[in-house]
Amino acid sequence: MIQITGLTKIYRRGRPPALLDLAFDTRPGMVTALLGAEGAGKTTALRLMVELERGQGVTLFDGRTYRRLRRPEREVGVLLPGGRSSAGHPGRRARSHLRMLAGAVGVPARRADELLEQTRLATVAGHRLRSFSPGMHRRLALAAALLGSPGALLLDCPTEDLSPRNTEWFHSFLRSFAASGGTVLVTTRAPQEASDLADRVVTLDRGRMLADQPVTDFRRTRLHPEVAVRGPQMARLADLLTDQGARVRRDGGAGIAVSGVGRTEIGELAYRHGILLHELADRVVEQPVPHPALPAASGRSGHVRLRTGRAERDQVHGDHIHGDHVHGDHVHGDHVHADRGADRGADHVRTEPEQSLPGQVEPHQGLPDHRLPDQSLPEYLSPGHLPSDQVLLDQVLPEQALPEQVFTARTLRAVGLTAPHPAPQSVQPDHRSE
Amino acid sequence: MRVLLYEVRRLSGLRSTWFVLAAVLLADAAVAAVLARQLPAGPLSAAAALRSVTAVVPLLPLPIAALGAGALGALSYGHEVRHPGLAASRVACRRRLGLLAGKLVVTGLLAALLALGTVLLDAVVLRVSLAPGVRPGRLLALSVGGDPQALADGARPLAVFAVLVVLAGWTGLLTTSLVRSAAAGLLILCALPALLEPVLSLVLRLTGRGWPVQVRESLPFQYGLDAVRGADLPSAATLLDPVLLTAVLASFGLLLLAAVLAQARRRTL
Repeated sequence: MIQITGLTKIYRRGRPPALLDLAFDTRPGMVTALLGAEGAGKTTALRLMVELERGQGVTLFDGRTYRRLRRPEREVGVLLPGGRSSAGHPGRRARSHLRMLAGAVGVPARRADELLEQTRLATVAGHRLRSFSPGMHRRLALAAALLGSPGALLLDCPTEDLSPRNTEWFHSFLRSFAASGGTVLVTTRAPQEASDLADRVVTLDRGRMLADQPVTDFRRTRLHPEVAVRGPQMARLADLLTDQGARVRRDGGAGIAVSGVGRTEIGELAYRHGILLHELADRVVEQPVPHPALPAASGRSGHVRLRTGRAERDQVHGDHIHGDHVHGDHVHGDHVHADRGADRGADHVRTEPEQSLPGQVEPHQGLPDHRLPDQSLPEYLSPGHLPSDQVLLDQVLPEQALPEQVFTARTLRAVGLTAPHPAPQSVQPDHRSE
Repeated sequence: MRVLLYEVRRLSGLRSTWFVLAAVLLADAAVAAVLARQLPAGPLSAAAALRSVTAVVPLLPLPIAALGAGALGALSYGHEVRHPGLAASRVACRRRLGLLAGKLVVTGLLAALLALGTVLLDAVVLRVSLAPGVRPGRLLALSVGGDPQALADGARPLAVFAVLVVLAGWTGLLTTSLVRSAAAGLLILCALPALLEPVLSLVLRLTGRGWPVQVRESLPFQYGLDAVRGADLPSAATLLDPVLLTAVLASFGLLLLAAVLAQARRRTL
């Protein structure tokens, strides 16, 4: 079991942190995926976990930090390609490379041959690494990580830039490793891969953890099937589809993206009305991730000072918290999801965050269940730490963290949080009544 | 023990190791042959024989075998920097220091073997390709056997040579560990004698001593200077002259200390 607590990395003072307060657990028998775009801090997180970089936060592997492990290779296998595609010196042969590492790990050379078999490299074991493809390099690196028969694996983008065949092999290997009781933590950029491979998905965005969900929740909330249609008469088709109850949005110059209707039905509809189609394809899009507002520098949070480049957006976000859109909902106990359908109908799935934030309550499906107020709160939200910014509320009590629940001001007190102050007009009567 | 096993397997699995060893021995043999051809007629002097056997050329900053040992040391560390096998398991400082110690041991042994091989090979080459007028006398009979006094006299400079080769190997390893690049480490190794030798010899001269004869013979710069000056050798001090020993050990100790401190500051090798 790997417990990750508060991993934070700030490269330069005053810059936004590369990683802020990442905290989650991985359990034996499960594949955990760390999902994020390029630059979201996935690799930084992994390097911090094995302490290849200096930073804040602690990672415990069965109760010990990586540095304190007596035989780290026997407990944690690490695959960090770190930008280099090669697994070793290009002049070495695969077998001698792996035997050399077996010497360093302290396992017999026989184990190296076993692993060559297991990673399907036995036939090329006598060849020099110079002649290896990226997929073979990656498998050899995996074999090196497995030399000590570790119980946990940390892999940084193991399937990036690999052929579908190799990717599939990696997936099945990692699944079977987890099924035999191992702990697996992989990072990936592709949401589709995360949903295929993982049992649990942790979403990162620009160094912040947005969500920690079981994969079923992840599929339900973050992945969204739609059909891409392209052709010369898309306006007409869009009208027809809207009549059928589908949701249509513009997608590029001569294309639309349709959700709610299957591909075959769209094709039939187009055929019946004599509409020419150039493309009709299923695809899965990622829902836009919500951008939680950040605590502004409060001067009380130690040396972690945040100054984001998105100050204006935060301002907007903060404003709409004061507006009755959110607070009204919370305090009056309305069903939070009540008006979301209408909202989303107007402005469909793949809106860019920049456009969607002001004025609309973006569905923050991403937020973790364990942040419900009756359980653990992030430490900077503990009562003594609470900055006066209202913005914080948005993180603690996002409406989407309560799928079917109702949020009242009383819940706030139960967690030890004071109600927002100054409270918006619409809220005040309620406060007095309590 | 695991580190030694790893290091031996690493060295033997690389072509560059064998290439460097072969190149050094070949170059040594060639130099020895050329030097043997150029010897003046008459009885073979001990100094000349020593120079041919250790293949010291004034053009190069170090004897060829020492350069080879330095290259092996530099490549040994450069390999870890460029192609780290298990980068993550080298995070703990003591493991990195352990690896460094293992590398020092293996490089030292290999350098000593290289020195031995050089001497044996060159002795054979010298014997074979001596110029016609030169009488080897009893010098080359050393390896066959002879009186213990002559053996000691002949073996001491050879021991100095072996120590020089081992020190060069370690220096190559340690300088590379400081600059993290095999080429840069090797260049520094080549530059060091050019800087250190004159300074040390100045210090020694100020303290009223000269280089002991045995050391003189295996230092190319001294050899070159002697050749230019016409070589009036000062009286031979003992090899274990405290000042000289301190000077050599202090410079190497400083290097070792710097390397250890650098490891303490780092996360990777």
